[in-house]
Amino acid sequence: MWDGRLGMIALADVEQRLALFAEAMNGGHLHIRASADAPLDAHQATAVPSAQSGDNLYLPATLEADEPGLYRLLALQQIARREFGGLGFRLSIAYRRVPGLEGAAAGAPPSRASDRWRFYHHFPNPRLAAALLEGFERIRLNAAMAHAYPGILPLLRVQHSLLRQRPETHPASPAALSLFQFAIGAAPSCPQDHILHPIARRLLPPGTDIYDSAKALWDAFGQLDAQAGEALQEVSDPVSAALELAERQVRLEDWRQEERRLDGALLAAEMLESEQLEASRGQGGGAVRDEQVNIKAIRDQRDQLSRRIGLEHSALRNALGAEDQQGRSYRYDEWDCHAQAYRRNYCRLFELALPPKDDADVAALRCALEASRPAVQQQLEQIKPQGRQRRWGLADGDEVDLNAAIAARQDIRAGRFPDERLYSRRERIHRDVCTVLLIDLSASTDDPVEKPDAPPTASPYSAQEDDPYLWAKANAAPTPPQRRIIDVQKEAAAVMAAAMERLGDSYGVYGFSGYGHECVEFYVAKDLQEPFNAAALARIAAAQPKRSTRMGPAIRHAVHKLANSGNALKVLLILSDGFPQDCDYGPERGNHEYGLHDTAKALAEAQQKGVETFCVTVDRSGHDYLRRMCPDARYAVIEELEDLPAALTKVYLGLVG
Amino acid sequence: MTLAREAGNLADLGTEPYYLPVGDEVALFAAAYAARLPVLLKGPTGCGKTRFVEHMAWRLRQRSGRDLDTPLVTISCHEDLTATDLVGRYLLKGDETVWSDGPLTRAVRTGALCYLDEIVEARKDATVLIHSLTDHRRILPIDKTGELVSAHPDFLLIISYNPGYQSILKDLKHSTRQRFVSLEFDYPDLERETEIIAREGALPETVAKRLAVIGQKVRNLSAHGFEEGASTRLLIYTGQLINKGIEPRRAAQAALVDALSDDRSVQAALADIVDAVLPAPR
Repeated sequence: MWDGRLGMIALADVEQRLALFAEAMNGGHLHIRASADAPLDAHQATAVPSAQSGDNLYLPATLEADEPGLYRLLALQQIARREFGGLGFRLSIAYRRVPGLEGAAAGAPPSRASDRWRFYHHFPNPRLAAALLEGFERIRLNAAMAHAYPGILPLLRVQHSLLRQRPETHPASPAALSLFQFAIGAAPSCPQDHILHPIARRLLPPGTDIYDSAKALWDAFGQLDAQAGEALQEVSDPVSAALELAERQVRLEDWRQEERRLDGALLAAEMLESEQLEASRGQGGGAVRDEQVNIKAIRDQRDQLSRRIGLEHSALRNALGAEDQQGRSYRYDEWDCHAQAYRRNYCRLFELALPPKDDADVAALRCALEASRPAVQQQLEQIKPQGRQRRWGLADGDEVDLNAAIAARQDIRAGRFPDERLYSRRERIHRDVCTVLLIDLSASTDDPVEKPDAPPTASPYSAQEDDPYLWAKANAAPTPPQRRIIDVQKEAAAVMAAAMERLGDSYGVYGFSGYGHECVEFYVAKDLQEPFNAAALARIAAAQPKRSTRMGPAIRHAVHKLANSGNALKVLLILSDGFPQDCDYGPERGNHEYGLHDTAKALAEAQQKGVETFCVTVDRSGHDYLRRMCPDARYAVIEELEDLPAALTKVYLGLVG
Repeated sequence: MTLAREAGNLADLGTEPYYLPVGDEVALFAAAYAARLPVLLKGPTGCGKTRFVEHMAWRLRQRSGRDLDTPLVTISCHEDLTATDLVGRYLLKGDETVWSDGPLTRAVRTGALCYLDEIVEARKDATVLIHSLTDHRRILPIDKTGELVSAHPDFLLIISYNPGYQSILKDLKHSTRQRFVSLEFDYPDLERETEIIAREGALPETVAKRLAVIGQKVRNLSAHGFEEGASTRLLIYTGQLINKGIEPRRAAQAALVDALSDDRSVQAALADIVDAVLPAPR
């Protein structure tokens, strides 16, 4: 008998495994987030699965249960909404599938309400309608899931058993409670059971969709109304706001798809009109052609839809909070030096692509590459002679392998068939090195480069200074744009990439920034497997100063990439212009100890995983904190910024040469 | 066994090899053969390329009525495979030195189909060898005997490779790939894959469909080192184990989960997928 005591399972403990499972079942990456609405006593959350919103999966931070598989069940119950037709409700389809619905008097829902909300307003009690539809959907989706994924049946039984033992998690209104009890296999106890349960059974066979639940709701209301009208006046439980937002997001996707279709139709119509005009040139006529009217109608429809999309996008963004990143997200621990413990899965890192740039910035990088070529070439020459070795026992080569030839002769004498691999040749050694160059893209990199005292410029006036009428600015040169730290960093990255490319090493070029522990940004300029070509150079050129400098998660993600590379020698080079800092990188803003310790911990973890690390900073006061942050004093402070490209290359070649 | 015979797998194709078409590949291959155009098969591992070739070789043999001992010669290429292994070599027989044709030469002389599987794995001197066979000349030069062998009219060369698997160093050169008609292969859709698993594993459709669903779900993890996902071959192996009495989840563990990854966390996630799709043991 359940004595009320159960274990506690934390989402952080299962998140990594759960993320893979969710991605596989969903067919796309999902950011797993702790549901802000779920109480710590999270059995409440097992009663009402929170909604999957866009590419986010909201789950309770903890579960009071002994079965960690319940998290998989909760994730699957949310994913199942989309898979089995539980999202994307369209009133137009409901009108076709539910006889009598279209003629019913409808109330006035909020202006941007989803079709699902508008459907509720066809009932005398919209909130009750919402609760009952959710009840029918729970029954339908659980049955669909059990049919498609029979392996989850034991978990469903565990969930239902927990819910049966916790009446505080049950809906308040009797009709909704009746459906809930049906769903969890509880003994019937509501006066509406004899009406609602037979209707619910219609949703158990596979192949049903949300419109079957809508029809069930319509029928249920009709019978409840005939039986006991006061039942329809009951106050129902709060409606899931997350589900409403999910419906509106799905509708937004549909609108965008329709917008693309209209764009295509508009383009086709314009091309057709252009061809017809060309064909009928000279025939005159001032009347508006049918094609023009058609184009105008399509354009008006497209523009109206675009405006609606813009408004809805803004509204959803406000409702959901900060706009979700488009890239994949990863979770990393953070070291809390005050608690002397890791904060599990505390940081969320988004891996984002840098959009390539196609302008003067790329040209500037090309110039820098060309200018650095002689120096880099000279440095590479010191390594290249070691890049070849002789291989023996080959079927062809430039020299005879005497040992193999003698053995072959012996075989012939002995009457055996000789080995034909009698040659040797020199082959290029494929270096087994993988490097990640990680560049700080914080806002401070927008600062100008401090130049040493420049020589005085030539007088802007002509030589005839005694002629006041002939004073003129002679050869006045336009003021060049001020070089920033980021510009020098980009040049250094491009020069290093070219050097690593010449060596034949595997490498990646990335930038990092972000704001807050839930939004660390990791930018990909050139990934490990990608070639160094014009597109990669354009992406390096696109790097711009961003926000903060939360180094710890960026280092951990870089180490994750290196660990998966499979190379023998793994190197992490970090290029920064200051100490680690972020809005919540520590309990006190302005106190950098927390960030320093977390970064030091991340570097130590890297070392334990066999990654050679080195920090290069252009912060002249870098000694103060780098000596505490970097293991074995593996850092360098570059005094003159313009020396950075050459210095970085030299550091790298010293590590791997 | 001679080295030359080791290099080739000689199929007699007495019974029709089962193959379920997913597109127009059968018609395309038949048309290429009619024009004697060499064919390149591209696709992930275990998606049916070799089975397709066997099936087409059987079909063409039925149509031609020729009774060849070995209508299809299959050679699995590897990095030690040299031109000599394909063309032939001199062998010692007692006091004599005799020439022995390699599998490629045999196919060229007799008019068989020759299938070089994973051609990019072979050494460069082997891949260059096929150039003269795959253009209008259709000849095979044998340097060691000084012979120029003209291909039998029924000879056709077929090669395969997996574009997602090869490293940059081992890519197929354009001068080679542009000598072939390309057929792109991929894993079949759910319905077809169910049918294939049911047939090859001798399973009821419901069980086969669940295995096909597992395959689809695992392939959704392509960004996690599963560029090729779970091959149809592995799903068939799982089915065959189930058919022999192994409990389904255990069969999936052995043939899928443990085969696809050595990473513990990934294995755990794969096991979760299997546990969701397959019912718990009674």
